[in-house]
Amino acid sequence: MPREHEPSLNEKQFVTQALQENLRLDGRELDQYRPLELTFGDQHGVAEVTLGKTKVLARATAELTVPYPDRPLDGIFTISTELSPMTAPSFEVNRPTETEVLLSRLLEKTVRRSGALDTESLCLVAGKQCWSVRVDVHVLSHDGNLTDAACVAVVAALRHFRRPDASIAQGVLTVYTPAEREPVPLSWLHSPYCVTWSFFGDEGATALLDATWLEEQVRAGSCTFSMNQHGEICQIAKLGGVPVDAVALLQCASVSLTRVKEISDLVDRRLAEDLKRRDKGGFMAELRAENDR
Amino acid sequence: MATKHHVVLPGEPIDPSLIPTHPKHPLRLGPGLRHIPPEDIVPTVAGQLITNPAKNSMWIEYNSNRYIPSQNDLVLAQILRSTSDFYLCSLSPHTAPATLPHLAFEAATKKTRPQLAPGQLVYARVSLANKHMDPELECVHPGTGKADGLGPIAGPGCAFDVSLGFARRLLMARSREEGGVGVLEMLGGEEGGGLAFETAVGRNGRVWVGSESPKTVVIVGRALQETDRLGLGLEGQRKLVKRLVKEVK
Repeated sequence: MPREHEPSLNEKQFVTQALQENLRLDGRELDQYRPLELTFGDQHGVAEVTLGKTKVLARATAELTVPYPDRPLDGIFTISTELSPMTAPSFEVNRPTETEVLLSRLLEKTVRRSGALDTESLCLVAGKQCWSVRVDVHVLSHDGNLTDAACVAVVAALRHFRRPDASIAQGVLTVYTPAEREPVPLSWLHSPYCVTWSFFGDEGATALLDATWLEEQVRAGSCTFSMNQHGEICQIAKLGGVPVDAVALLQCASVSLTRVKEISDLVDRRLAEDLKRRDKGGFMAELRAENDR
Repeated sequence: MATKHHVVLPGEPIDPSLIPTHPKHPLRLGPGLRHIPPEDIVPTVAGQLITNPAKNSMWIEYNSNRYIPSQNDLVLAQILRSTSDFYLCSLSPHTAPATLPHLAFEAATKKTRPQLAPGQLVYARVSLANKHMDPELECVHPGTGKADGLGPIAGPGCAFDVSLGFARRLLMARSREEGGVGVLEMLGGEEGGGLAFETAVGRNGRVWVGSESPKTVVIVGRALQETDRLGLGLEGQRKLVKRLVKEVK
């Protein structure tokens, strides 16, 4: 397996030295994100997030299956991540690296275990039929802070997604095509977002947001906060690294909330814009047979 | 130097009128051209065909992301590890390592050779670049035994990635007139307020910027990367330099 390319000693020394003077290589403030952009595909449930040079594509799909025997009333919701060799030659197909495992774990904890998607609403016939919703996350380009970008992509894709409408009459399940009935959005409860802090220095004295790939390779530790715009924390992951002062972590959490509100605003705005773009002027306008010309 | 600019595609036949003829010198083919005996010259990449009638040479200028070493290129190499006789260096990520002999430094003997740690940057010249062989580097002029500015890079500074074409333009003897890159002169001149810095440009798309002040390094590095990314002309570079100097205070 090819090894990851390491930055040179000169770069490592410079990044840490410059950070002591609160200076980042790309000229950002310590708590500033790179430009975050969110676009949706032609189909429902495809979201692409760019964060500087990092690019993540998420795609949500749904299919009918049998629910798990121990949870007959719940639908199935899975998130699968893929870091392909297109991202960097050190990633291989079917051989998850530590980065990939941690990324998928964090997304699971943030989106699935925080109950963002109401899985009970995915059940059609108890113990017999349910929807299995699956989100595939593809990392197209890796320049640091995959977690935050992937989380935005997953949440946006799920909120953008429409599943086929279904009904049960006299014990017969009918799934309607989009032509018969308008597909329905998923029952979405709240939108959690990740905010990752990177710590530098012996005691984690310098904390910065949205680290680039170079900064990630140099950092002494990191901590990911997942919360929604109401300030409800879904999870905090600090996987090793230098110990950080508790007060500093509390400060990080409060700054994270303002960032989450900004991200949340952006996603809401983009979703509203997309809805407007797709809206042809209501049901009657769509039924009209006359030609535009 | 270069007289004519024509865009060619791989495999395309070259117009015979473009091939320089010189009564004395033999025809020399540079990067991107291949001689197929008896007399066909075929481009192997898409780019600009450049001919130099005075030296009877022709080559293709192209901008790519993948560095292919060729002899006498100045490169910024990164030491990977040391073996008994030479250092293994990386010229670009995920490619075969280049070798740098322990004794290929100025005034180096078995006892006085520089001890380089893995990850250290070295400014070197490609001394051997054959097809299907690992390239070889040297930090000393083989004739004079002088370093000529080559050697391990020490001192405060940082390396930045730029495209190969931009690195080549930076390395031109008259980069402002021929390459259209005046950003370094501007940073050191009145537009940049006379910043003090030094650079080492590697043909493999890496530029090292050194200065006592980290702010200067950041300004210069960003100016180089932005100029490359946006493809700025001289006027755009002037504006960029002024903006960056004002921004990073």
